[in-house]
Amino acid sequence: MNTGKYIAIISKSIFVVFTLIPVALGFGYAFLYSFGILGILNDGFTLAHWKKVLFTPTLWESLGFSFYIALISLTIAIVFALIIAIYLKQKLQKGFLSIAIYLPLVFPALVMAFFSFLLLSKSGWLSRVSIRLGFINELEQFPNWINDNYGIGIIFTSILLITPFFIILYTNLYHHEKLDNYKELSQSLGASPINTLRKVLIPILLRKSIFTIVLFFIFVMSSYEVPLLLGKQHPQMISVFTVDKLQRFNLLDIPQAYAISCLYGLLVLGTMALFLVKHSKIKLK
Amino acid sequence: MSYLKIQHISKTFKNEPVLNDISFSLEKSKVLSILGKSGSGKTTLLKIIAGLIKEDTGKVILEGKSISKMPPNHRNIVYLYQEPLLFPHLNVFENIAFGLRLKNLPKMIINEQVTTMLSNINMEAHANKMPGELSGGQKQRVAFGRAIIIEPKVLLLDEPFGALDSETRDQMQILFKDLQQKKAITALFITHDLKESLIMGDQLGVITEKKLTLYASKQDFIDDESTGSKKEMDFWEKIYKS
Repeated sequence: MNTGKYIAIISKSIFVVFTLIPVALGFGYAFLYSFGILGILNDGFTLAHWKKVLFTPTLWESLGFSFYIALISLTIAIVFALIIAIYLKQKLQKGFLSIAIYLPLVFPALVMAFFSFLLLSKSGWLSRVSIRLGFINELEQFPNWINDNYGIGIIFTSILLITPFFIILYTNLYHHEKLDNYKELSQSLGASPINTLRKVLIPILLRKSIFTIVLFFIFVMSSYEVPLLLGKQHPQMISVFTVDKLQRFNLLDIPQAYAISCLYGLLVLGTMALFLVKHSKIKLK
Repeated sequence: MSYLKIQHISKTFKNEPVLNDISFSLEKSKVLSILGKSGSGKTTLLKIIAGLIKEDTGKVILEGKSISKMPPNHRNIVYLYQEPLLFPHLNVFENIAFGLRLKNLPKMIINEQVTTMLSNINMEAHANKMPGELSGGQKQRVAFGRAIIIEPKVLLLDEPFGALDSETRDQMQILFKDLQQKKAITALFITHDLKESLIMGDQLGVITEKKLTLYASKQDFIDDESTGSKKEMDFWEKIYKS
């Protein structure tokens, strides 16, 4: 056996031992716990925890709210990233901007959430500036953007966190996929600059980044620190809702928390599987 | 009257002159083959004619009117790269239909024209395939079809067969010549290949030292030692005799 084969086997083993096995064990444990098979207070197999979870409207509200946050955040972030990457592509390749664009990526989500809190809360900078400028008379008049019903603070922070990543991705894709050549070709075939953008540049960039978009959708949907700091008690995003159940004083809630984790895990896996099957079919076509 | 007229075109990039006072004219439905070394400014010349690069001085005149200030999408001059550059998100049919859809033609007419073009380029069986599923030669056929279907006033070909193997290259030369005559296309054809320039061009020119030399006939081109045609012919003659 040559060295290449050994390295391949070792790589696969590392992947299985450090990635697949821990996830499978964790998932299996949560699954058994949720069916009452494991756990100190459980008495044996039961569907009670799953029934309770599935018929709790709060769970579906939480899932819907997480989906809404991910959809709005990602849509706005992608639109911003596309505009910036397409119109500032030269500056993003060289000079100050090419370095500055990496800076937001070094801030952890919690720091960014705290920054949003300082900026957007009723006692934050924007509110104080608004008073100084005479837009409002007292802090209470400033709109609720933190811990609000629409998750504006969470969306704002998610956009801050993911937009730089998509700008870097699209700037690199633009050069790697030779989009300047496609742009010239499209114009030469009679497309106006708007048509070139709409029918060539944006579809190519979106198509090439579809996997990343799906992964980031799941990332935002499952985010924890940001909604914990900036979200409301109701509705909660799915991770906060699950951890809340897991850490409550009532130990009988723990199997439900595991059932929610399993359900969410299955939903994500199912969606990914459907997406992969559909994408590979499109590729085959 | 000349169909396409290039008058005193010059271009400099970062203080480096690329083209210097280029002038020539081309009649309708004729092909001008241009030879030149890498970096001699051939691509720049084509891009200036297509409106993709702005000339420093000079004029591009098409059908008696200056088009120098016209944006590329209004010129109806198609510039084809060496790479076929098929749009990766569209299948073969939609790639060919691209220019027609921009004109907002009725669906039925688009379908009809694209189907005819698919048959002209022998790609009927591949209409629903994505670009990644095609060979280099097939991609280049589609690129031709996509350009020719919009009936461009001038077709600019920048070493279109440069990346193909010799057999596919020969087939593509025949296909292009056939389509060019059928559709009476006016074209500028850039190539490194002496033989190809002679096959494809009705007129021949060479860019050297930022200047374009045009030849009155193919014989003049062959007789000029600097084109290398004589050397090439001598080489094959020697091989044949030995």
